[in-house]
Amino acid sequence: MTQVMRRVAQGYVAIVVGFIFLPVAVLVLFSFQAGRLPLPPFNGPSLHWYGAVLSDRGMMTALATSLVVGAMASAVATVLGFLAAYGVARHSIAWRGGIEFAMLVPASVSYLIVGLGLSVFLNGLGIRPSLAAVTIGHAVVTLPITFSLILSQMEPAHVQAENAARDLSASDLEALLLVTVPLMMPAILAAFGIAFSLSWDEFIIAFLLTRFEVTLPVEIWTSLRSGLSPFINAAGTLIFLISLVIFLAFVFGLRRRARS
Amino acid sequence: MGAARPRAIVQVPQGWGYVAPALGFLALFFVAPLIAMVWRSLHLKGAENAGLTFDNYERFFTDASLWGALSNSLELTVVSVAIALPLSYAMAASIVFAVPRRLQVIILLLTILPFWTSYVVRTYAWLIVLGDRGLVNTVLIALGLTDEPLALVNSRTGVVIVFVHYFLMIMTLAIYVSLSRIPANLIKAAADLGAPVWRVFLEVVLPLSAPGVATGVFLTVVLAVGDYVTPQIIGGGREFTLPQAIMLYLGRLADTPLAAAMSFVLTLIALGAVLAFSPWLKAGRS
Amino acid sequence: MIRMTLVSVATLTLAVPALAEEVNLLAWCDHDDPALFAPFTEATGISVNVKSYELTGAAISILEQSRPGDWDVFMVDTADVRRLAEEGMFAPLDPATLPLGDLFPGALLDSHHVIDGVRYGIPEKFGFNTIAYDSRVLGKDGKISMRELFDAKLKGRVAVYDYYWPIILQLGQMHGIEPADFGIDDLATIRDDLFALKAQAKIVGDLVSTQTAVNAGDSDLVIGQAEWVAAVKHDLPYLNWTIQDEGGIWWSESLALFKDSTKPEAGLKLIQYLMSPEGQARLATASCYWGFPASAAATLDDTQKANLRFAEVDSMLAKARPFPPYDEVLDAAMVALWTEFLAR
Repeated sequence: MTQVMRRVAQGYVAIVVGFIFLPVAVLVLFSFQAGRLPLPPFNGPSLHWYGAVLSDRGMMTALATSLVVGAMASAVATVLGFLAAYGVARHSIAWRGGIEFAMLVPASVSYLIVGLGLSVFLNGLGIRPSLAAVTIGHAVVTLPITFSLILSQMEPAHVQAENAARDLSASDLEALLLVTVPLMMPAILAAFGIAFSLSWDEFIIAFLLTRFEVTLPVEIWTSLRSGLSPFINAAGTLIFLISLVIFLAFVFGLRRRARS
Repeated sequence: MGAARPRAIVQVPQGWGYVAPALGFLALFFVAPLIAMVWRSLHLKGAENAGLTFDNYERFFTDASLWGALSNSLELTVVSVAIALPLSYAMAASIVFAVPRRLQVIILLLTILPFWTSYVVRTYAWLIVLGDRGLVNTVLIALGLTDEPLALVNSRTGVVIVFVHYFLMIMTLAIYVSLSRIPANLIKAAADLGAPVWRVFLEVVLPLSAPGVATGVFLTVVLAVGDYVTPQIIGGGREFTLPQAIMLYLGRLADTPLAAAMSFVLTLIALGAVLAFSPWLKAGRS
Repeated sequence: MIRMTLVSVATLTLAVPALAEEVNLLAWCDHDDPALFAPFTEATGISVNVKSYELTGAAISILEQSRPGDWDVFMVDTADVRRLAEEGMFAPLDPATLPLGDLFPGALLDSHHVIDGVRYGIPEKFGFNTIAYDSRVLGKDGKISMRELFDAKLKGRVAVYDYYWPIILQLGQMHGIEPADFGIDDLATIRDDLFALKAQAKIVGDLVSTQTAVNAGDSDLVIGQAEWVAAVKHDLPYLNWTIQDEGGIWWSESLALFKDSTKPEAGLKLIQYLMSPEGQARLATASCYWGFPASAAATLDDTQKANLRFAEVDSMLAKARPFPPYDEVLDAAMVALWTEFLAR
């Protein structure tokens, strides 16, 4: 690659990163607005709206709820996805294609439909909307992702290591827990992290399946109906920071694992 | 993989034991709900105990506006994905081939970072960025590129811009993963054999990155076809998509059966997309 | 690990505390502020669970997915009270327990709330689906005719609130059709105007997007929602609202008690609180949206009263027309026309 091409490419990267950050920059900037409208002209900076968000009980409860739902949904999706990937990696190829396809199908159905279907179905069974229903819905939509991510990282070397363990008279369960799981830990953590970040920001399923206890995106949607306000920007910025911390924790967790 | 080894054959039933929980979970909480929804769509609103009928589907296919909403959704999807794909490919390729290795992860992280801001909040932020007196129009007018503010929101242009922004993050990531796996010496070897840059790209790089492209296109097509938030907030009533029609009939008329029928049509289209992409999606794993 | 997860899931489902007395309220988002119910809970020890919904259709779906007795109080569009009462959804309310005498006489709408002499609901808050505008552009007198929306000077400057009932009925008023008399046949009369309105529109959108369009200066005027301006008056003093010459439409929300409620006494206490001067003032200035309290006794301060133009309430109610009672067939026909309007 010539030097000129390299420069052009680097310039392009800078432009795209700028474009990608455009709405985020505006979002963050107007969270420091002093007035009531998140519109130009900017008349801050003020921390007023951060105080308002942190002292809003509904917002804080929803935040805790979202953390719990996200953690449980991703745990379910990661465990099921891992087991399925583990099973598929040891299957005859003829079956493998069919199972992989079946596991991918939910990814092709939009969240609106998963939520609508679950609400009609649970209603038919006489089960009320609840956070457990949201957890199930989120596990359904993230399962294809955890499954394919973990499967893509299952390498033949793992099978050999596991077989070696069995040859040393480890039981299947021991081989799974003591050899495969630790070997797969980076992929498992990454799958969990991605599933969590999707559940954490998911709106429509949570909207259709909750009653009084709501998740953060639903709480934000509700407060949005009162019109745009720097309050929402401040809440959005805080959520961004929390997601960032969680995400970075996983990335660095991964790195450390990879190094050791 | 281990399939050729005698041990693997013995383990086949055991493999099922590992796959069964996930498949059972999906059967109970994904397939059964879909069937319940289809069942609901085969009855008219308020006549849940009457016989089966295709009236909701007939209604959908004969109402020009609803039918139009579907074709609108598809058009919007094709346009947005078609614009996002080359932009994302160029982005991923620039990161892989023009950014020093140690900086790549950081740039990639920056590229997908905004993905972690709330989608709804981010979309409302676009309203302010793209408005008549928003940042973009102010800059364009100051530079003398236009006299009148451009209709960047409340228009298809706006919806496409916001979709492209969203898809850039997902596609760049998917394509980057494929591109970064291509051994550098393979490209170098091709170049050393005297192949011009465009031939190295067409004959080595592009085919090897096809799985990443397929994954990116698949994920974004599903998102674009099913998204309610962006056309609702940014479209300003100029972009009427099928998810909006579904929410309109659900919210205004509580017509769950018609909404279910439209949802099912949407699902079939998305399934078609999976089938279309599945050869490449699988290829990505071997 | 799976078992642990399942156990936690189960715990989540069961973790609905039932210690203190509670009432369950299904309402619009103006009932979302926790501060709204603080004095009530303090005085009675009853806590209030609120599920907010946007459209009656959505509320009906929620009710269909609930068990009888799940809900105690329903805050519902006044236009829907009569048909739901006729379906047997509500318990009768004893007028003697309600401050009916405090209400603005024009806001009572007894024909919606009283069937065969039995009261099933009480109006709680109302507002106008008329016009809010930028007075720097449109002048300060506030005298506007619906016809002006179609002026060349407003081309591409109009914001239309995405709710078909008030828009269609107000177009009907342009042709001299009284909202109460509007029928399916009249849809043909307003059809061309509706599509012409689309051509004039900068945006057809929800509350937030249309308000943002006016706040940001992208639009000069919004049709379909008016008194929200009172809440932003402090920051954007040049915004104003008015009732067009043709009369316009006003909306109203009501409170009713579910017949299946297992806690009717607590439910009634909640209704009484919301209708009290304090409850009414808090509700009128809710963070989700401002509106007029149905009760003239609401304890609003002077600035709030000035911003809401509280002194003019009687004359405004006399000029505008209420939403007609809900009609399922007309509703479906309107949605079909509106779908066409949106799809253009």
